[in-house]
Amino acid sequence: MSNITKEEIQAIYPKVAATIADALACDEDKVKPDASLINDLGAESIDFLDIVFRLERAFKVKIPRGKLVEDARGSLTEAQFESGGVVTEAGVARLKEFLNEVPADRFKTPLKTAEIPRLFTVETFAKMVLRQQKAAPPA
Amino acid sequence: MSTPSLTDSGLADGAAIVTGGSGGIGRAIVQILAAAGMNVVFTYRGNARAAGELVAACPAGKVTSEAVDIRDSAACAALAEKVFDRFERIDLLVNNAGVIRDNPLAALQDDDIKTVIDTNVIGTFNMARAVAPFMVSKRRGRIVNISSVAGEKGGRGQTNYAASKGAINAFTRSLAVELAPRNITVNAVAPGVIETEMSRTVRELAADQINSRILLRRVGQPEEIAHAVWFLASRYASYITGQVLHVDGGFKME
Repeated sequence: MSNITKEEIQAIYPKVAATIADALACDEDKVKPDASLINDLGAESIDFLDIVFRLERAFKVKIPRGKLVEDARGSLTEAQFESGGVVTEAGVARLKEFLNEVPADRFKTPLKTAEIPRLFTVETFAKMVLRQQKAAPPA
Repeated sequence: MSTPSLTDSGLADGAAIVTGGSGGIGRAIVQILAAAGMNVVFTYRGNARAAGELVAACPAGKVTSEAVDIRDSAACAALAEKVFDRFERIDLLVNNAGVIRDNPLAALQDDDIKTVIDTNVIGTFNMARAVAPFMVSKRRGRIVNISSVAGEKGGRGQTNYAASKGAINAFTRSLAVELAPRNITVNAVAPGVIETEMSRTVRELAADQINSRILLRRVGQPEEIAHAVWFLASRYASYITGQVLHVDGGFKME
């Protein structure tokens, strides 16, 4: 994570924002880096499918389904990360580190696993694209 | 109020994928969609000769064939990608490919069950999952799944086939709910006994019995299924989703 720089995010941000605005059919000026896709931009689960699909095509990267949630868990096992549908203390700490672009006051506890996507911001998706680009640079 | 027009199906120049195009019903579906002006890409598995003949029988340049095993999800994804890259749209998916392995339950081999479920059910999942993102991002699309009267009406020796078609009906309804917000309709056509190679054994073994149980007193023709698919794909069916349309001469009612 630490190897993603602010400059790298800024470089791809306009295209990510335009892609998300297109997918959600909303004004691009509403798409701010720290906007929560669900809470601020009204995204539903089918929109995440669309956004990931469009980003894949726009940036020529492959983003496996469920990749974001899987990456969010990091090296923690499922049992270490969540218990009974609620993210553990260690899990929340890991999420705060992984989603360091998300303002700290948005991490409410107890945090339900199903609520994690509410944290995702526009910048979260920019970082995901960069991670995938670094993992497999376009040919 | 404008005069109603029933001459424009809205299908011209659209792109369609039809699985199992080389069989009897598949061939009729491919032909009618091509006649409506669509660019049709159909899949086949074994019968390259039949596939070639079908391409040759259709308007030049409108129809292409692809050897794809729909049980292979990666191959389905690659096909959707290829069709979209070529036409920049996927307007219609017809999940038509299906196999039959009739036998009483006790005599069914593992492979009879697996092959039928893998092709009819998993194959339908694979193709629908492959095209859905393209339709979602365009905010339009039609999916028509070919089911069977066996999906609702019990038939001796058809537990595997009936289970696969019942699954397709349930799949159709749930996917219709999922995709409706993006203006994508999902329906099924359930043929009764149709005059194809696939139904030949059952037609020969029980011809009198079958005809006496069909209200219209005859088996159906592949074109009669293709017409229903055309209708559900056309703009005339724009307000229909999550339905199973039985095209069976009244077989299910009897």
